[in-house]
Amino acid sequence: MKIEKAAVIGAGVMGSGIAAHFANAGIPVVLLDIVPRDLEDGGDRSKIARDAIAKLLKTDPAPLMHKRNARLITPGNIDDDLEMLKDADWIVEAIIERADIKRGLYEKLEKVRAKDSVVSSNTSTIPLHMLTDDMPESFRKSFIITHYFNPPRYLRLLEIVPGEAREDAVKAVADFADRRLGKTVIMCHDTPGFIANRIGTMWIQAAVDAAFDLGVTVEEADAIAGRPMGVPKTGIFGLLDLVGIDLIPHVGSSLQENVPEGDPFKPMYKEHDRMRTMIDAGYTGRKGKGGFYRLNREGGKKVKEAIDLETGDYAPADRKPGIAAVEASKKDGLRGLLSVGDKYSDYAWQIIANTYSYSALLVPEIVDTIHDVDRAMKLGYNWKKGPFEMIDEMGAAWFADKLRADGRDVPPLLEKVRDGKFYRVTGGQLQYFGTDGEYHNIKRKDGVLRLEDIKRAGAPLASNKGASVWDIGEGVLCLEFHSKMNSIDPDILTMLETAIDLAETRYKALVIHNEADNFSVGANIGLALFAANMGMWPAIESMVAAGQQAYRKLKFAKVPVVGAPSGMALGGGCEVLLHCAAIQAHSETYAGLVEAGVGLVPGWGGCKEYLLRQQAEPKALKPAPMGPMPAASKAFELISTAEVARSADQAREMKILRDDDEITMNRDRLLFDARAKALALAEGYQPPEPAMLRLPGPSGKAAFRLSVNEFAARGLATPYDTVVADQLATVLSGGDTDVTEETPEDRITTLEHRAFMALMRDSRTLDRMSHMINKGKPLRN
Amino acid sequence: MKNVVIAGYLRSPFDVAHRGDLTKVRPDDLAAHVIKGLLERTGVNKDDIENLIVGCANPEAEQGFNMGRYLVFLSGLPVKTGGMTINRWCGSSMQAIHMACGDIQMGAGEAFVCAGVESMSRVPIVGYNPSPNPQLAEDWPKTYWSMGLTAEEVAKQYQVPRKEQEKFALRSHEKAEAAHQAGRFEDEILPVETPDSGTVSKDGAIRPNTSLEKLADLKPAFVEKGTVTAGTSSPLTDGASAVLVTTEDYAGKNGLTPLVRIKSIAGTGLEPEIMGMGPVEATRKALDRAGLKIGDIDIMEINEAFASQSIACLRELGFPEEKANLDGGAIALGHPLGASGARITGKAASVLKREGGKYAVSTMCIGGGQGMATVMEAV
Repeated sequence: MKIEKAAVIGAGVMGSGIAAHFANAGIPVVLLDIVPRDLEDGGDRSKIARDAIAKLLKTDPAPLMHKRNARLITPGNIDDDLEMLKDADWIVEAIIERADIKRGLYEKLEKVRAKDSVVSSNTSTIPLHMLTDDMPESFRKSFIITHYFNPPRYLRLLEIVPGEAREDAVKAVADFADRRLGKTVIMCHDTPGFIANRIGTMWIQAAVDAAFDLGVTVEEADAIAGRPMGVPKTGIFGLLDLVGIDLIPHVGSSLQENVPEGDPFKPMYKEHDRMRTMIDAGYTGRKGKGGFYRLNREGGKKVKEAIDLETGDYAPADRKPGIAAVEASKKDGLRGLLSVGDKYSDYAWQIIANTYSYSALLVPEIVDTIHDVDRAMKLGYNWKKGPFEMIDEMGAAWFADKLRADGRDVPPLLEKVRDGKFYRVTGGQLQYFGTDGEYHNIKRKDGVLRLEDIKRAGAPLASNKGASVWDIGEGVLCLEFHSKMNSIDPDILTMLETAIDLAETRYKALVIHNEADNFSVGANIGLALFAANMGMWPAIESMVAAGQQAYRKLKFAKVPVVGAPSGMALGGGCEVLLHCAAIQAHSETYAGLVEAGVGLVPGWGGCKEYLLRQQAEPKALKPAPMGPMPAASKAFELISTAEVARSADQAREMKILRDDDEITMNRDRLLFDARAKALALAEGYQPPEPAMLRLPGPSGKAAFRLSVNEFAARGLATPYDTVVADQLATVLSGGDTDVTEETPEDRITTLEHRAFMALMRDSRTLDRMSHMINKGKPLRN
Repeated sequence: MKNVVIAGYLRSPFDVAHRGDLTKVRPDDLAAHVIKGLLERTGVNKDDIENLIVGCANPEAEQGFNMGRYLVFLSGLPVKTGGMTINRWCGSSMQAIHMACGDIQMGAGEAFVCAGVESMSRVPIVGYNPSPNPQLAEDWPKTYWSMGLTAEEVAKQYQVPRKEQEKFALRSHEKAEAAHQAGRFEDEILPVETPDSGTVSKDGAIRPNTSLEKLADLKPAFVEKGTVTAGTSSPLTDGASAVLVTTEDYAGKNGLTPLVRIKSIAGTGLEPEIMGMGPVEATRKALDRAGLKIGDIDIMEINEAFASQSIACLRELGFPEEKANLDGGAIALGHPLGASGARITGKAASVLKREGGKYAVSTMCIGGGQGMATVMEAV
């Protein structure tokens, strides 16, 4: 079977988010909810679903990859529109967490849905059998649980409980979720809370209990339970504020009720009075009046405050609590965190002991392998490492000894691994420790190629501090950036040229890709600022020239170069992509030329490539406006406002991606797809000819200047914005060219160079740069 | 001097650009539709039309190619009829009427179709390739100011507070809605078939539910601490209009029904930054040429580019607002640049006929610093 149309029932945050993500995958989806109870005569009976779609367009971070995707979502209501489901291949139920109501809905669905369709529930707490017992076989054979994480577009985990469903149906859903929704699918057993929430709920309970027991403050708890443990900096209390404190008793008590006798969570769960008082008073977190943290806006200033767990009073938050254990962890990891012997080390231990040993106890009860547990926690809870990877970091035997010394039980799996590790590398192959006591290879699916696997198995062909070149098979090389935040520095530029030389002499193609959070945040402005402050102008000049030379070489390489970004690709990172022969982008790519934010213009050919892209005729021939202004205006608009695409789809609209460039929804498949694209291009590849541009010259610059002045009049541009925009206007209008002449592309890079240096010499640019480095956001001077 | 009359007036519904129902209609098709309607309704002999003059403020793309000539074919006029496109920005189609008057006086024809059109959805307001003269932009940047800035400048120089602008805008909507409810637009609006919105027969920019509170909530649209908002400005609009201009003699002989006699015409220039004040001098000049005083005028149609300039002009001219724009103005109805001159002139003519009285004026401001006026008298 194939999934070509979907339906979601329940237009709450999860349901509408799931519907949005079906739309992101490019298929039509029906979104149903109930008829509003207080509906007036003649009112909109599908108002709830319709309002939910309207809300999708306003939510940040955006559930939709492009606003136009909203048009793929058709609203309706359960009373009138069940017929709309008759040709849906996959129907997701995301209604209230009550088995009786869900079952009632399923009975209705059975009457209308196509015989071979799949129904799945997004329940996070109800076991599958409670939803299918006594239901007709036709339903049981079509029903599975698909558990998404919030927000569905961004969190990559999808837990599936296959139940008794037809194999082809499970496969179709899993395959669609993998390739089209970009999810990592993990098949779980039918146990309460599945994987991530089962362990996550224990983790929350342990961390909250210990904070109350040991008298650790909210800020201290988050400082310990966050970064040092590989957890996002929201830590524990910050996370509860984010997800909603009122959710916790609901999930906790449900889990307590459903876990088997003897499970450590059963006796452990309790509701803290403080949290109950907060929930009752509306302090449910960010969605409520506040939570463990709140923003106090009294007196016109925003002050972040934290609650005193004991008294319930708020006081300004201690942003950087100095904790020796946290400092120790920076050097010695978890062992360091646990080494200090004070209440903070003890606090960390309470969390680690409870959470990690619970994880070990649950394999294979909830899922077959430890690897799946680690993946689930990383992708569902955004942990940097999973529990078993963390145990390996401490040493399994060391951890087991510490558990014993603390009078705790050691889980059988931990006993079994003894002084071994849960993961090992043999012959370049990563293996995990199975419940059978043997090590097993971690196999990648067809169509998945991971740079981490290649790196584990061999050595780079060339490498320096900023980047490395790897042979990724089939005659293709991969250039990997690995500088801090993948900012582009002279090392990367050198390695880029090396990679091209290598590829041209011995290989068919080159892919530029890395597996960090961000492809590249742009040029290393710290380096440029330092040089400027020292007055090292020739050094800056040569940095600009070196970048232009390397990117030029990239564009005209004799073999095709494919850029394969994921995450941010900003400034100089975006310019790399603009010079590639093709782009294979992860759907979550955030690209843009943001130089104006630090008082600069793109200096490594970005202006030139943007102009060329805006000038190119789209394939589907639209009534393209003629003349020199449209392309230059569009480039001016996007660069002067430092516009960043919020998805690869938007990057295509901005023409950072061209018509032939492609998008991969599943990040794990990106490198494979990029390699395939590179190989397809390599057949008879011809590098591009240097291009000529038709630009408006001084009259275009006058038009840009007039429009910037109007922006300034409206208060939308600062005085220095107009200075930066004026330099940009010179570059994008082609300097002193005339509309009757054609400008060679290298002329634009010369103009870029000049404009870049002029701005570098302005102290207001340096103010912007240093503000960005120190505060992480643009200065509006 | 020959007597020149307006012997018919018709327009399309006006609708807001980009969001309205006329977005998908090509401007030449829209204009041709209105011209055809005008020819049918007046019953004028097509063979007698000397020239088709169409005003358009951005005559490029779908409005390009000397659209006037192509409209001859599109509207079923004979091949021998001339066709031309005239650009005087917002004054374009009033200029079309003035040119017909001139031609008639020169004995160069007896019957003219004077039309105007603008699709602000389909052709951007400054065109696709705005290419200002760099030296002029340097020396006299105000010549290239956007209209919003000039509205602010007028509000400042002539002291028109925001509240007063909002009251004026509200009245424009109220008058337009009342006229719509009373069916007073039915004679002048020709319904249009659209590719995607069915038959459109109503103006789309009127906001019957607006209020002083809502208007007060809007942010300044052009200057951070300014007084002019989207609510006190005319919206970007799609629309077309046309009038039939003939000699009085020809109308009489051919059974046409003249609405008014054109008494005098005028155009002027002034500082670009206060272009909104153009109607003052233009009206004075035209009145002078007609031998009239402002007190002689019974009906005025002043194009409401902005509330600030409309208020300031009426004040300077000493003309009571109660006698201006009886069925609402461009703030409520919209301002499709090239079409507005023919609309307000045709409208003034038909309102004068409807309300009775002796004289009417249509007048408008023009970007870059100009004003135009047409004085009409009852027949």
